[in-house]
Amino acid sequence: MNKIQNSRLTLVSILLSMASVLILLMMVRIQNSASYQELSLKTEADYSYLIESYYPERGNIYDRWGRLFAGNEDVYEVGVMLEDVMNPKTIAQTLNGINDLDYFEILQKASQPYHPINSVYSVLTNFLPSGVIDALSQIYQDYELENPYGKKQNLPSLRGVVWSPHLKRNYPENSLASNVIGFYSFQDRTAGKGYFGVEEYYDNLLAGRPMETFMHRNPYLLEDLPEVPAGASLVLTIDREIQAMVEKQLDEAVKEHEAESGTVIILDPRNGEILAMASQPRINLNQYWQFQDEFSDEKPFNRAVGAVYEPGSVFKVLTMAAAFDNGTVDSDTSYYDSGRFEYFGATIYNWNRRGNGDQTMQECMQRSINVCLAWVATEMKADAFYEYMQSFGIGRRTNIDLGGELIYPLSKPGDEGWYPVQLVTNSFGQGVAVNPVQMATAISAVANDGMMMKPHLLKAVIQNGKQYDTAPQILGVPIKAETARLMTDMLVKSLEQESSIALVPGYSIAGKTGTGEIPTDGKYGTELTNASFVGWGPANDPQFLVYVWIEKPKSSPWGSVVAAPVFSSIVKELVVYLDLPPEQAFDNQIAMGN
Amino acid sequence: MQAIGLSLIPVVLVVAGISVYLIISAQAAEAGLEIMDLHFKEEDILRQIANQRSQLAYATSYAQMQKKAQKIGFVSPPDDSLHHMVINGYHGQQPILIAPPPGEKNAFHGLVNTAYQESLSAWLFDTFFSPALPRGQIYE
Repeated sequence: MNKIQNSRLTLVSILLSMASVLILLMMVRIQNSASYQELSLKTEADYSYLIESYYPERGNIYDRWGRLFAGNEDVYEVGVMLEDVMNPKTIAQTLNGINDLDYFEILQKASQPYHPINSVYSVLTNFLPSGVIDALSQIYQDYELENPYGKKQNLPSLRGVVWSPHLKRNYPENSLASNVIGFYSFQDRTAGKGYFGVEEYYDNLLAGRPMETFMHRNPYLLEDLPEVPAGASLVLTIDREIQAMVEKQLDEAVKEHEAESGTVIILDPRNGEILAMASQPRINLNQYWQFQDEFSDEKPFNRAVGAVYEPGSVFKVLTMAAAFDNGTVDSDTSYYDSGRFEYFGATIYNWNRRGNGDQTMQECMQRSINVCLAWVATEMKADAFYEYMQSFGIGRRTNIDLGGELIYPLSKPGDEGWYPVQLVTNSFGQGVAVNPVQMATAISAVANDGMMMKPHLLKAVIQNGKQYDTAPQILGVPIKAETARLMTDMLVKSLEQESSIALVPGYSIAGKTGTGEIPTDGKYGTELTNASFVGWGPANDPQFLVYVWIEKPKSSPWGSVVAAPVFSSIVKELVVYLDLPPEQAFDNQIAMGN
Repeated sequence: MQAIGLSLIPVVLVVAGISVYLIISAQAAEAGLEIMDLHFKEEDILRQIANQRSQLAYATSYAQMQKKAQKIGFVSPPDDSLHHMVINGYHGQQPILIAPPPGEKNAFHGLVNTAYQESLSAWLFDTFFSPALPRGQIYE
């Protein structure tokens, strides 16, 4: 290598070194310059992370077989980015009539002047289904082809129109089981909440927790994406098919008897699961705002839990069960029914104002003799009677998992306003008020060997991808198992011997009618009544209890005429849904040697 | 000549280091953007699933099924035509299981591969000094 080459290489290396030094100096200068730091902060704020408000999907509600009662659907909010709007008239013409939007209203919103702080975006409408958005998108594209970027003012353009998806609560069954489900006020996107029924009771569980998620854009800092817990889904004990059947039967009965309303509850006495709960009126939950029209005058949303009434003779089941359990009466006890019973200056009569002579306890129940039950209660004494009623849950909440349970306190000896005559009126279900679920739960103890299970609608919770089944809970054991079986046998015979309309061929059913008089102007009479029937079966292994309450029927005041046929019609279909063969099927099986 | 070569070595090393850094940064940035994109796609898919579940539920709702049954010509059988048969060992429809019960192991271990969370120095260290250590497990 000659000297010239050597000196050239030296020069190149010096120049490269100088360039390196210059680059380093420039880097130091840039790092310390105020403008760079400002740019750096801005970049950090704009591009280094992303904050996103996230509203978790509200949990679904299923029936016991996984059929959806409440879910979510994809809908869109449509608005305009005011800076980008090129032709407000086209926007108004295109969206006119959609969701009841008015041309001039849209035009006014789309024509607002843009301001970078105060006026950037304007909402035009919300809750549009994806089909409408697909059509809108197609029109948008067509206009763009004709008029790219909307630059030609004489041609239509939807520039500036934007849409963003979100989920909306949806009830595929519309009004079916609406009294049980309740509704979610989805139109209020930031403060929507559950009202009534399961939607209210489990609102926190269904809603999940809305949160803002923070996500690094820098891949080195990006860790696992934050988990936003979705709302839990619920599996109910309700059977959709049974619910639909019960609602149909109830609607027909209310119409036929020109009643004010009606309620039917079907529960499994072995575990307290509610299989169906129907009440009137009902609303289409997808249009929950109808609520104000349908439920004016403080009507309860679900009469099964939100209405208290004097149950009448169905209450005799509890009185007689208590008397048998504490030994006041037994199967051999008889009572001479003269047709009237005097107690503390008050005279009690039978429903037909007639006496029946010597009566066994079974006959007292079969003929629903008020006088007999009044005598039984007085023989039992007030303290024992009310102790039993409390253990049956009368005057106490069942704490069923539904919003809006209403109860009426049980007035007992020593309470202000309690009079001794109440003991006898209470014995046949007058002067005492219950809600239908309370009554069905109390009587379910008789159907379930004395064990009273907590009525409930929640069968399982699905959270974080796992299904957690709920366990049945015992509310109490108000009577002994022997007493419960004896009462069931007695009520089976009662129905059979009176050839009740409530009987279902092939099945042994225990049951009792009830006609609760409603006082008008302070006087009790049969002009206005609560007609009811409670029954359970199969008597040797009860798997269902059906409670029917028809409110203020006009065709007949009596539970045996109005409510008993409803019970029978329901049970005839119910046994098919529950795969309960008639007793004869078992007999045939035995005869065949199986 | 040797002195010149030696003086250029740091420059070459710096340029090489910057090049490696830029390549890895670009790859990692691309992966990060892909993750975000997947996140938005996931949201979109979850919405679509919810929507389709609702549509399916509507199509199979009680009222719709009743309409279909009537259209086909189904009628409820009269009570006296029902024949029940007891089948020993058959316990009817079993309770629904929409999700697995608790206790079953979840195979999901996190969305971002731990390899994408390594720094350059950690990568160099692992590559040259801990070659036997399986990738992706160094921080677990």
